[in-house]
Order: sequence, then structure tokens, then C-alpha cells
Amino acid sequence: MSAHPRGDTLDFLKVAKDLLPAGASYDACVGCGICASGCPASGLHGMDPRRFINMAMLGMNKELSTTPWVWACTQCKRCAYLCPMGIDVSQLVGAARGAWATEDKPSGIVRSCAAQRLDESTSAMGIMSEDFVEIVEETLEEIQENQPRFADLKVPIDKKGAKFVINQNSREPAVEPEEMAPLWKILDYVGADWTYSSKGWAAENFCMFTGDLDAWKEMVETRVDAINALECETWINTECGHSFFTLWQGIEKFGLEANFEAESLVTYYAQWIREGRLPVNSDWNTNNLKFTVQDPCQLVRKSIGDKAADDLRFVVKTLVGEENFIDMQPCRSANYCCGGGGGFLQAGMSKERRAYGKRKFDQIIATEADYVLTPCHNCHSQIDDVGEYFGGAYTVTHLWTLICLSLGILGPDERKYLGPDLADINLPDEE
Amino acid sequence: MKRGHRRIETQLAVIGTGIAGFAASIFALKRGLDVAQFGHSGAMAYTTGYLDLLGVHGQRIRQDPWAALDELRRDEPQHPMSKLSNPTIRTAFDGFTDALCDMGIGYTKAGEQNLSGLLPNGVAKPTLSVPKTMLPGIAAREAGARTLVLDFDGLQGFSAKAFEVNFAERWPALKSARLTFPDMENRQVFPEVLARSLENRATQEALAGLIRPLLNGAEYVGVPAILGMHAPDEIRARMEHAIGATLFEIPTIPPAVPGIRLRECFERAFPDMGVKLEPQLKVSNVEFGRSGATLFLHGPMEDLEIEASAVLLATGRFLSGGLKSDQHRLSEPLLDLPILQPDGRQEWFRHEYLDPRGHPINRLGIEVDSAFRPVMPDGDPVNERLFAAGAILAHQDWVRQRSGAGLAIATAYAATEAAAAMLA
Ligand SMILES: Cc1cc2nc3c(=O)[nH]c(=O)nc-3n(C[C@H](O)[C@H](O)[C@H](O)COP(=O)(O)OP(=O)(O)OC[C@H]3O[C@@H](n4cnc5c(N)ncnc54)[C@H](O)[C@@H]3O)c2cc1C
Ligand code: SF4
Ligand code: SF4
Repeated sequence: MSAHPRGDTLDFLKVAKDLLPAGASYDACVGCGICASGCPASGLHGMDPRRFINMAMLGMNKELSTTPWVWACTQCKRCAYLCPMGIDVSQLVGAARGAWATEDKPSGIVRSCAAQRLDESTSAMGIMSEDFVEIVEETLEEIQENQPRFADLKVPIDKKGAKFVINQNSREPAVEPEEMAPLWKILDYVGADWTYSSKGWAAENFCMFTGDLDAWKEMVETRVDAINALECETWINTECGHSFFTLWQGIEKFGLEANFEAESLVTYYAQWIREGRLPVNSDWNTNNLKFTVQDPCQLVRKSIGDKAADDLRFVVKTLVGEENFIDMQPCRSANYCCGGGGGFLQAGMSKERRAYGKRKFDQIIATEADYVLTPCHNCHSQIDDVGEYFGGAYTVTHLWTLICLSLGILGPDERKYLGPDLADINLPDEE
Repeated sequence: MKRGHRRIETQLAVIGTGIAGFAASIFALKRGLDVAQFGHSGAMAYTTGYLDLLGVHGQRIRQDPWAALDELRRDEPQHPMSKLSNPTIRTAFDGFTDALCDMGIGYTKAGEQNLSGLLPNGVAKPTLSVPKTMLPGIAAREAGARTLVLDFDGLQGFSAKAFEVNFAERWPALKSARLTFPDMENRQVFPEVLARSLENRATQEALAGLIRPLLNGAEYVGVPAILGMHAPDEIRARMEHAIGATLFEIPTIPPAVPGIRLRECFERAFPDMGVKLEPQLKVSNVEFGRSGATLFLHGPMEDLEIEASAVLLATGRFLSGGLKSDQHRLSEPLLDLPILQPDGRQEWFRHEYLDPRGHPINRLGIEVDSAFRPVMPDGDPVNERLFAAGAILAHQDWVRQRSGAGLAIATAYAATEAAAAMLA
């Protein structure tokens, strides 16, 4: 990426005034650099959050409207968490992104958003609604045929009035449909009354990351309309961070009517375990493999807060054994973004993305864990990538994989994200 | 979609996550109280890591803080620490440093005399307790020992050469050198980045390997404060062993590691110790009722209501948002507590910026009674259930008096004791 020649030049002081709540202001910046010290994007493209604020104060609008750094800041809000004045650079970054001419924005993010706008499915990987339904049905049939315990497994689509409506990241239907099975099995196990929606089902939203507010709004509207029409009590966001944030934040920001509550799947995992409906334990972990967990910024710091981090730890400790769980430091609301957020993974800036992710990599290596659990698809991809790039010996996996492993219902084809050490552990009985 | 709503009941709500707030939670836990604490980032992020008690009194640097406290009681009877005896202050200080040690950050126990803590600009400051990683540097300087001080290419906030030059006359056996930190070539880095990287054993070994050939007979090696974030004493010991000389840390200018260490240490340990901690939420409103107070906070997705039987206000001064000033007046923004103040801004400052007596504004703040309850102008408590501690209090000038942490810890102790007595 390089500075772009076209697009608008924003007046950042004015933007700041419009964005900030009453009483807050960028003039309050004391220039201490706490934000820059704690930001993994500091130094990329010669920029950091303190510098960004400082340049905004000095009216260097041209430079800020053109610096490619706005695509390296993942909008993780760690700076706002650390700043004694509560100054949030990510909001200015969002505005700066929006000012870029579409042709100059990272094409991966633009393309993903455009794909989402093609069809009511809202899938960034371009899967149309009918295709999604078909893939789900085919995958389900295969499970019913090959896994006797799940001969009657059901995957409702567009079931009006179900208690839960659940979204689905496009990656699974597009490239690894068998990875949907663990989620379905868990929902079956707890007897959840749930449904997918054939419209607006996709659990990703790159439109927010393009900085194009209209596109973000359109995306959220499509999804909210689809969910409203199903009249479900609760929308459960699956293992993804930003699709959660973009939806609830979009509903608030654009003043949309939503007749459902927004919840994270992690909250329900914890609840179902507490209620005894998901009787997982760590008996399978006879080799005392060590696990750490990534707190997705979008889910923890930017949305639910430490309550989500507590639930996540409860679930993971139950699954792997308290003594086999090691926290990264810092963690919870103070956690570092992995560098996969904000569309960085799609922006085609691998060098910068990996430099950003090095801090996450170091954090993981310091835990000496064998596995990293990531309840977010972007975190999953990024942590996997930096692990490979910097030579880490850890494996990255989803929570649903481990839950099914512990319950003894994880089929041999559903172990793609487990290392060889767990390939044969707790396989379902064959009948 | 409705915003979430959560209610928490607690005996003591601590407002503020600076040293005073964290100390209050520690003391309250020890008293067996149920505690919830709220706050955001603040002045603690800038600390050197040293815990000062009283370094300057009567415009002189003081070696014996306890004797200085005796004089303070005589000279400044309204000073918040003048309300407390030396044994009480010592109990508070020890309670705080013991807790820090238990949480994984070693601190020296308060002695009879102040220590001369090294500063990055090559001077020493009087302080009572220092991180154990910094203690050997004080001994090295006192002995004038053969010492090698290091800095790193691209590092912001510390220059080994400047440190050497400033100490040159008094400490001729001090030498400096610059290294390239492993895997940090050609970049500007903050100390925090190096500290995170040193959490890994491979980096520790690589750095020790770079230092060893430079020793040239040095008994001590000083590095900026970068020896990891979460287990600095272990990392220091391991690297010291690998290097073969006594290793110590020197504080850097902010943004520096020691303040981040403290914050992350509390955030890490408190949930397990049983404090309900929200370290990123400020309290937006407090309403007092008959049997307690309700605190209102707003998270990104939910609103919190805290029912507390007592409230301890430790919101700091201007930098942390505990006090505010406009053109004419100083105010306390959360509860609008009364602040005794001169009429008009011209009275806030003396003519000379560097006037050794300090500026009146630095001594303005919340007035409290002997039970550390904020009082109305007539001297009656604002509310029986409201207590205050730390830098927000009036009649102290912690910057000038070199008493930041000590003031916070001692008054937090007294306020918590008073709250516990009220709740009993
Ligand atoms: C540059 C610098 C260097 C320092 N170096 C040293 C040193 O070397 N040695 C030393 O002993 N001391 C040092 N200090 C002093 C020390 O860090 C503290 O300032 C002092 O101990 C006072 O602590 P406090 O807890 O009263 O206030 P603060 O540390 O200011 O904390 C106040 C807290 O209240 C929170 N808050 C404010 N409003 C609200 C609200 N409405 N709701 C919830 N929370 C709120 C803030 O977010 C903040 O966390 C230094 C301070 C600074 C600024
Ligand atoms: S942390 Fe806040 S006050 Fe400090 S430099 Fe960054 S924006 Fe400014
Ligand atoms: S939002 Fe995250 S990446 Fe962006 S400036 Fe803030 S801390 Fe850095």
C-alpha cells in the first residue's frame, strides 16, 4: 500500500467533534504516548496513534487522509482502553478509511464488501442463499448417513419463531462444510430450538472495514430485516468477533429496530455447561496438553467486556483442565489484537500484518502452550499464519472442535484443526 | 434489541483504579469486605515504579521520611498524612508492598531511611520502596561499583550515554554501551515492546548472549526497565545467571514499563482474589439512598448498577479526571463535592513557575474529616457512607513533596478502615 492520490481530504478536528461524546475531546491529549506504546501497529508506515492525534491537532489533514496506516490499524480500541483521557483513535481511522477513493482502498476488503452486497445472503465469499441451503442440506445428509448417532440430526432453516437464530461464517460452507458439523452436534446435544436464516446468515461484515457507512448500514439492515422476520428471541453470533460488533453497533449507530437480543455463542457454551446440558470435561486430556485462549477484541474489549472473557475461561478450563490452561499476558479486555482484525487479513499487506502479529506471536510463545483456542475466525487465520511464519509449534483450533472432542462426538473428518496428538482421541464408537 | 442491564451488590465500591484505589481494594479484602472496583487508565501509568512516602519537606530532600512525617504533622496539620500516625502509615505501606510481592512483583520492604532511586536522567530521588529489580542499582551507585549500563538502538525513553555522563563525576567506574535488541533491528521501539519480547526465554538467552562479551570486568549491569512484564524478578534472576554479573533495571521516562506492570498485575490478580474489577469503566453517576449508594456505569453493550453500602472515592486529580477546572473554578465532576478555593484563577498560581513553595492550585482538593469522609464547608460529612483517598485530597502537594504512592496508600488504608468500621 502507498499513500493514495485521490479521495477526499477530511477535516479531522471537525470529524472528531462530530464523533465524540460531549465532554470528550482530542485537545485533551497530553502526548504521553501510552497509546503508542501499547499499539502493535505503532511504527508501521511511520505512524502510531499518538502521532495520528498529534497530526490531527496540527491540522495535517492531507497526510492523515492519505496515510496507508489507516489500513494497518485494526480498530481494536486498545488505545482507548489505555489512554487516561479515553481518546479513541479507531474512530478517526474509520473516518479516514471512508475518505479514500474506492479504487485506492485495499482491493481485498472492497471485494469482500461488494460480494456481500450482491445477494441477500450477505456472504463475503459470494455464496448465494440457495447455495447455502443446498450446501447445508448436502452436508447434513452426509452426516446422517455416515454417523449413526446423528441419523436424525436436524438443521432447521428459516424456522419462524425458533428461540435462537444462528449465523454462520462463510468459510465453512465455502471451503470446509464438514466444519459446520461440530456446531450442529452441540446444538443437537443441548436440544436447542434454533434455526439458520437463508438470508443474512453470513457471519462476516467487511463493509464496516471499508469505512463506507452506507454499505455497513445496508449490510446490517439486510440482516436485521431477515432476523426480525423470523421472530426469534435471540440472535446468536457464532465463533466470530467482528460480525457481532458490526451488528449490534450498527443497530445502535443507525437507529435500527431489532426485535431480538444479540448474544455470543460463548455465553451459551458457558450457560449450557453450567446447567449440565453440555457435560464436557477434560478426561480426554491425559497428556496434559497445554492451552491458551485468544480474547477477540471485537467480542471482549469492544462489546461484552470482561464478562465474555470470564465465560471463555470457564468454558476452556472445563474443557482442558484448570491446570492445563495458561493465560496470555495481557489478556481479557487488555488483550492485544492478533492483527487479523479490521480487514487486515484481507488487505493484502502481509508484511505489515505479520509485523503487527509478532506481538501476539511472542505472547503465545511465552505461554508455551500446545494449542491456541480462538472463538473468532479472523483470529484463527491470523494466529495460524503468524505461527507458521515465525516458526511457532502451536496448533490453532475452534472451541466447537474441543467441545465435541470432549463429548466423544467429534468424527474423524472433523479434526482438521487438531494436531496429530489428538487425531485418535475420543473418537465416536462405530456401530 | 435492548441494552443489557446488570446489577452488582457489594459492601464497598471503590471508584478509581490508581494506586489509592487498588490499595483500598487490597485493604478492604484483608478486612473481609466484599469489594467492587471501577475505573480507567490514569496517572499510575506514568509512575517510575518507585513508591515514595515523603522525600521532601521544608524545601529539603529528606533521608528519614519518618522524622519528616513528624515535622509534617507539626508544620502542616491539615495535610492528609498528618491525620495518621507513623505506625499506621507503616502498616499501610507494608500491607501494600506485601500484596504486590504476593501478586508477583517484588518490592522492597519500607525501611527506616529513604533509598536513592536512580532516575533515567542520571540523578537519584528519595523514595521508600523500590521494585526488587531496581534495588541492585542503588547499591552499585553507593559503592561506585564497576557497572555497565546499556541501551538499545531505536529505544525511546532511555539513553545509557546520558546516564553515564550525568553520573560521571560521582561514579567514574560507570560505563555505557548500546546494543541492537534481538529481532528489533531498524525500528523505533518503546520499552514496553522490549519487555513483552523478553517474556520469552529465547529472547532472554539471546540478549544475555549479547551482553556477556561486553562485561569487561563489570560487576553490575544496568538496563532500562524492560525485564518482562509479568514475572520481572524471575526474568532478572535467570538473565543474571546467564550473564554472570548482577543485573538491575533503571526506570525510563513514560510511557514506561513499571506503571504498565502494576496495572496488569492488579488486573491479572484481582479477579482471582475476589474483587469485582471493571478496569475500563468510569462511574458516570452516584446516587445516595438511606442504606447505601447506587453507582451507574455504561459499558459498550450494557448498563451497570452497583448497590454499595459504602463508597470510596479515589479518582485522582486533573490527569485522571478526578478534578476539573474551567476558567473560574475547580470542581469535582462526579459528585460535585465542595472544594474550598480562592476566588478566581489568578490566585491558583504563584508568579514564578519554579517557586519552591509550589502553587496553591496543587493543594486544592477534597476536604475530609478524621474518618476520611468528604465534608461540607461547615465540616459535616457529605454522607456517612462516602470516603475519599489519594491525590484528590486537599492540603497536599505530592509532586513537590515526593509522596505520590505513600499518600495514596496511607490515606486508602485509613479510609478503608473507617469504611469497615462504619459497616461493622
Ligand atoms: C508522571 C508521573 C510520575 C509519577 N511517578 C511517581 C513515582 O515515581 N513515585 C510515586 O510514588 N508516585 C508517582 N506518581 C504518582 C502516582 O502514580 C499517583 O499519581 C498517586 O499515587 C495518586 O494516586 P491516586 O490513586 O490517588 O490517583 P490516580 O493515580 O490519578 O488514579 C485515579 C483513578 O481514578 C480513575 N477515575 C477518575 N474518574 C473516575 C470515575 N468517574 N469513575 C471511575 N474511575 C475514575 C482514573 O481513571 C484513575 O484510574 C507519578 C505520577 C505521575 C503523573
Ligand atoms: S494515551 Fe491518550 S493522552 Fe496519551 S498520547 Fe495517546 S491519545 Fe494522547
Ligand atoms: S485501534 Fe488498535 S491498532 Fe488502531 S491505533 Fe488503537 S491500539 Fe492501535
